[in-house]
Amino acid sequence: MTSGLRFPTPGIDERTDMHASPSPSTACWNCGGAPGPGHFCAACGKIQPPGDGGYFAFFALPEKLGVDREDLERRYLALSWKLHPDNFVRAGEYERNCSLELSSALNDAYRALCDPVSRAEYLLERHGVRKEGQTKQQAPPELLEEVFELNEWLDELRSAREAGSRGAETSELRERLEGARQAFEEKLAAVDAELGAGFAEWDAATDGGAGDAARGRAMARLNEVLNRRSYIRNLVASVTRELENDA
Amino acid sequence: MAYSNKVIDHYENPRNVGSLPKNDPEVGTGMVGAPECGDVMRLQIKVNPETQVIEDAKFKTFGCGSAIASSSLATEWVKGKTVEDALRIKNTDIVRELSLPPVKIHCSVLAEDAIKAAIGDWKRKRGDEAGPNGTSAAASQAE
Ligand code: FES
Ligand SMILES: [Zn+2]
Repeated sequence: MTSGLRFPTPGIDERTDMHASPSPSTACWNCGGAPGPGHFCAACGKIQPPGDGGYFAFFALPEKLGVDREDLERRYLALSWKLHPDNFVRAGEYERNCSLELSSALNDAYRALCDPVSRAEYLLERHGVRKEGQTKQQAPPELLEEVFELNEWLDELRSAREAGSRGAETSELRERLEGARQAFEEKLAAVDAELGAGFAEWDAATDGGAGDAARGRAMARLNEVLNRRSYIRNLVASVTRELENDA
Repeated sequence: MAYSNKVIDHYENPRNVGSLPKNDPEVGTGMVGAPECGDVMRLQIKVNPETQVIEDAKFKTFGCGSAIASSSLATEWVKGKTVEDALRIKNTDIVRELSLPPVKIHCSVLAEDAIKAAIGDWKRKRGDEAGPNGTSAAASQAE
């Protein structure tokens, strides 16, 4: 860190987890006052370093899964305008750093919250329910069997195509796959509806100030639905790709 | 993504791809999936009932290169091992052998889970894991 500068709060460039961001919870680094909700001090107006309130708080939104996309976009645009580094070219290094960190956190936050599935995944990760490779999350065995079998058909279709065969055998296979694609697209729609119900459950628990148990139940349900969804979505994507290649 | 040479080798020349007769009492089948990405893996073992040695192993994986390499390696490793020794294979061993990067750890977890599920299925068939009420905890793992 450069010497002459005074950093009332921990040096911003020494922090490792800045991207975890959102609104500051500590007193203003400049005047010591209570920080406002919008990344700027309510008293002195100075930009504040990212806090750790999470992506919802970054947008001053409650931690709810039902998000109005247009409202989110408006908030995003307003913040990107306010936090933009161009506004701080003549400010001190600390403020310039805040602006840079906040701008990049803003993009992460927007990307995570924009899409409903990644929004739910983010929520579960933030609450430690979903961790890469850690928590055991097995899908229902019948679903795995089905996904596996369909992948085998896809393999057959692929090898038939590579062997240059275009006969009755491949058209039968195509037909089977078309049917399966339809069935799985229906499954995807059904699982998305379940996800919607899970969103509503979480939001109701959050609104009603329900206890941790209710919130935990809602998250467990969301997690289970998301797991099933990932197999189905993956399969629909490969079947679609294969049938298009084959067309 | 830059795959290590060992991953590429297993990916291009996967060992023991295929299937074993699922209803054979000496065969155990493990069917597992990774919810992170939606990939699926099936690993099967054939165990000598006298010696408890895994004499054959086959896999089929619909997933990324790391998952294919992990399962290919897993079949190589379990062959010739006793069931008990095979249960000691950890996903971290696979990560080390294949130099998998952190984002690909779940692919190796899949292979470890598949070994355990296959052995669980085999034990269940032999009635080893029958619980007090005669049902099996592993029954839901692989049907
Ligand atoms: S990316 Fe899913 S198993 Fe490798
Ligand atoms: Zn202030």
